[in-house]
Amino acid sequence: MMRQCPGKQFRCTSHVEMPEDIFAGAKLLQDDQPRPATASDVVALSAALSGNTHCNCCTQSASPLYERNMADHESAKLDHDNHLLLDQSLVRLPHELLRKNFRSAHVVVERDKEAIKRQLREATIKGLNGNTSRDDVLKSLDNIIARGKKLRTKLGACQTEESRLFQQTEARVKHLGQLQGLHTLDDVKYEGWSHARLDRLLVDYLLRQGYSDTACSLATERNIADLVDIETFVAMSRIQNSLRKGKSVAEALAWCADNKKELRKLNSNLEFSLRFQQYVELVRQQTPESQLLAIAHAKKYLYPYQQAYPKEVKQSCGLLVFTPNNPGNPQYAKLFSDDRWEMLADLFTRTYNELLSLPSIPLLHVALSSGLSALKTPACHSHTSGQGVNADGDVDMAGSTGSIGDSSGGAATFATESYTNGRMCPICSAELNELARNVPYAHHSKSHVDHDLMLLPNNRVYGLERLKNHAKKQGIEEGKVKDLRGRDVYDEKDLKKVYIT
Amino acid sequence: MPPQTSSPAAMPLLEGELKKLRTKANLSQAVSETDKLLELLIKAREEVASSTDAHSASLIMAKLQNPLDSRFESITDALRPVDRGQKAYGKVLDRSFPSRALPTEHDAMAEHSPLINRAIAMHLLREGQFNVARIFLQETQEKINSNSGGGNQDQDRDMTPADELVSESTPRTTDGSDELEEEEAEEGEEQEASYELDEEAIMAPLRSRNLQLKFEIMYEILRSLRSHDLIPAINWAADHSYELDARGSNLEFELNRLQFIYLFQQGGPDPEFAAQMTDEERRIEGRNSALQWARERFSNRGLQGRHAKDIQQLVTAVVFASNLPSSPYRHIFDASGIESAFSEAGTSFTRDFCSLLGLSAESPLYVAATAGAVALPQLLKYMTHVKEKGTEWTTEAELAFETPLPRSMIYHPIFVCPVSKEQTTDQNPPAMLPCGHVVAQESLQCLLKGTKAKCPYCPVEGHKHDAKIIEIL
Repeated sequence: MMRQCPGKQFRCTSHVEMPEDIFAGAKLLQDDQPRPATASDVVALSAALSGNTHCNCCTQSASPLYERNMADHESAKLDHDNHLLLDQSLVRLPHELLRKNFRSAHVVVERDKEAIKRQLREATIKGLNGNTSRDDVLKSLDNIIARGKKLRTKLGACQTEESRLFQQTEARVKHLGQLQGLHTLDDVKYEGWSHARLDRLLVDYLLRQGYSDTACSLATERNIADLVDIETFVAMSRIQNSLRKGKSVAEALAWCADNKKELRKLNSNLEFSLRFQQYVELVRQQTPESQLLAIAHAKKYLYPYQQAYPKEVKQSCGLLVFTPNNPGNPQYAKLFSDDRWEMLADLFTRTYNELLSLPSIPLLHVALSSGLSALKTPACHSHTSGQGVNADGDVDMAGSTGSIGDSSGGAATFATESYTNGRMCPICSAELNELARNVPYAHHSKSHVDHDLMLLPNNRVYGLERLKNHAKKQGIEEGKVKDLRGRDVYDEKDLKKVYIT
Repeated sequence: MPPQTSSPAAMPLLEGELKKLRTKANLSQAVSETDKLLELLIKAREEVASSTDAHSASLIMAKLQNPLDSRFESITDALRPVDRGQKAYGKVLDRSFPSRALPTEHDAMAEHSPLINRAIAMHLLREGQFNVARIFLQETQEKINSNSGGGNQDQDRDMTPADELVSESTPRTTDGSDELEEEEAEEGEEQEASYELDEEAIMAPLRSRNLQLKFEIMYEILRSLRSHDLIPAINWAADHSYELDARGSNLEFELNRLQFIYLFQQGGPDPEFAAQMTDEERRIEGRNSALQWARERFSNRGLQGRHAKDIQQLVTAVVFASNLPSSPYRHIFDASGIESAFSEAGTSFTRDFCSLLGLSAESPLYVAATAGAVALPQLLKYMTHVKEKGTEWTTEAELAFETPLPRSMIYHPIFVCPVSKEQTTDQNPPAMLPCGHVVAQESLQCLLKGTKAKCPYCPVEGHKHDAKIIEIL
């Protein structure tokens, strides 16, 4: 964003005392999209408004805001090399899925090739041996054709998936590439991009938490369907739910079978754990048949892994002695417990994420932990000076009854001429204040304060320019200023200069 | 070893590679080879069907073997370049956009999904995504219901440990021992029941249509504003003029001022009507309606008191209607600025509207997520440095590393004591020495020699009692 001295957009007239034209700064906001104000809008606006009484380029000293912005140039720069950390899975996942898609195509071809060749060989041999009719030959050929058609259908599905992934990757690569042309964080275009990123993070969060309808509608409304992974997470949720709510391992086992090779590479214990659960369920039934079935199941699926999971295999043997009602000791009680389904669902989720190289926690969590911390200051949870927070630390949630639109509430400490030019600290906002309690506040090695700090007799300190602007807006007589957060009015000569080193 | 970057610069390269994949390494060849295989089989079937006896049918089958093998061979051959292409693409991806691990080990947010959900619901409402918000509130409610209905066994993963509810009602203590105790108490049914109430309590206020209605009003007014109809916004500002004044907002005046300018330029309130007039008529009509507006709106209320000078200018400017461009008032009626003036009025309006609700104009969730992306590299760097120690960065009171944010993301004045290099806090507030220099209170204690302290920055020595605890705001 071009943050420049607002006065420079207009030729200075002799009307020094004239208020800045309200057009100033607004030129930057040309988009006609209905969107709430964003950071740079407000800065632009404040830039236009803060110079209210004097035209900045006419006064002797340059605008303090202008100076600040110059000094600040470095940190507003977009760090290209590190800005896409949250966005890695955007291009990673389609590639993983593309590989997976190819592998399943390959498996299908190999499997059907062998089967069809064998069928043909057998039919031929049978025919040549002479103990068959023409209709028999026809019938076996029909079977072969059916199998071939099935192969064609499966390959076709893979091809469809492939083009979907191509399209997705293209959209994503384009989306990420848009950042390249942007160089500062205050660029209006960056805001658009960053909004899209937030939408992506939200969809990722919503899907992982199982709010798929919300996720789908948000993706549709914001037109980011190609930038989010609805199918991947919906498939994951389905299996999660079958474990958690349905208490069934069938779907999860089918998924294991589909990804056998990769799971082996990951050294995953998911399949074993699922088989173990099947075993527990058989033991739980407590009938002679089920006990036999349990032993057979263990022989087939558990004992072969004795070396990898010695403890579990031993436990499985011991389990036969006990019943769910009388599990003997807590260890066995745990095996019979329903909590195991929860554990399996979590294990499945972890494995699923790992297999697809997806982050193990919602990206929104990563962004928020880091962002809340970077924004948080000691003042945000202070008992004395936080904005929007009552003195007793209670958050005045806008949604709670009665406080909406009630400007006399706790949030009334808000003043347009605040340090932030009327912008409210997001950490102090009712929406995030509680959440931010869980992270540290940011570390600063140098002070960020107004350059013209003055001490009021009540020991509060504000920038002089802000005090003067406020007094003017409030219609306070010349030579006096008013506490920005209170009602006290003081003589300008009673103010004391504060030096920050 | 390539540099570890996650740069958008990799994208054009990937785009090129993707194009290669799309044209040269896709499954279409394999599919068409499969079609040929099917043709072969179907042709063979026709031959068998028209053959007369089992033996000749079997011969057809025998002769089918070799062509069938070679058909399959072609399918496999068609798969090979796909594999190769994808592998090559993967290599380029790894090289140009290497994957970097995120700090996911300690998730400070994991146990706070109710709070995150609330923030999301608020975000959706304030962004005007009413439909999405409605679905979300519904889905969260369903989940709460199914959790409480399912009884103890149906413990959902998102059921957070009971310490969640403690942090809801009372400020979280930095002392970790409390949390441990709470976690142990988690098994208790009572705790769980009250937790559910809690998530319900967090989300319930949002479900009332109250807040949505407010935002619907806001978007309605913004819609009018965009079509250059300022009246709804002006009415709203007039209705709230007391609160707006208290906040030092000039919105009411600014909107009226814009309306004055708009009427004057447009030639009256009705653009269609104005379009049929001659230039001269339009000028007169514009002047009259603007002046009438001024008489109605600027005559009473506090507006006149505080903006007397501005109003004078506006009204005086009308005198120059015929030669505005050469008058000293030309900048007021800069026709090219009218569009942006409207969009700026929208921004001001949004800000003040939200501020009256006790909300910031920019979505906190948006600012936090953006700041998160900006600060993440520092966090990552720090994580790799302390990995061996296994420190949990989220449990400290202050971050151990700096996370530079743009100036637009600094909301509070920050004072770092020049002596101790620490930020001042409630417990350790800034103290001003008689000479006007400021240090942290704790540093002042260290500087004290008896009852006097010498300023570390100037030769002045002051008495303890002359130092003042100040509040930098």
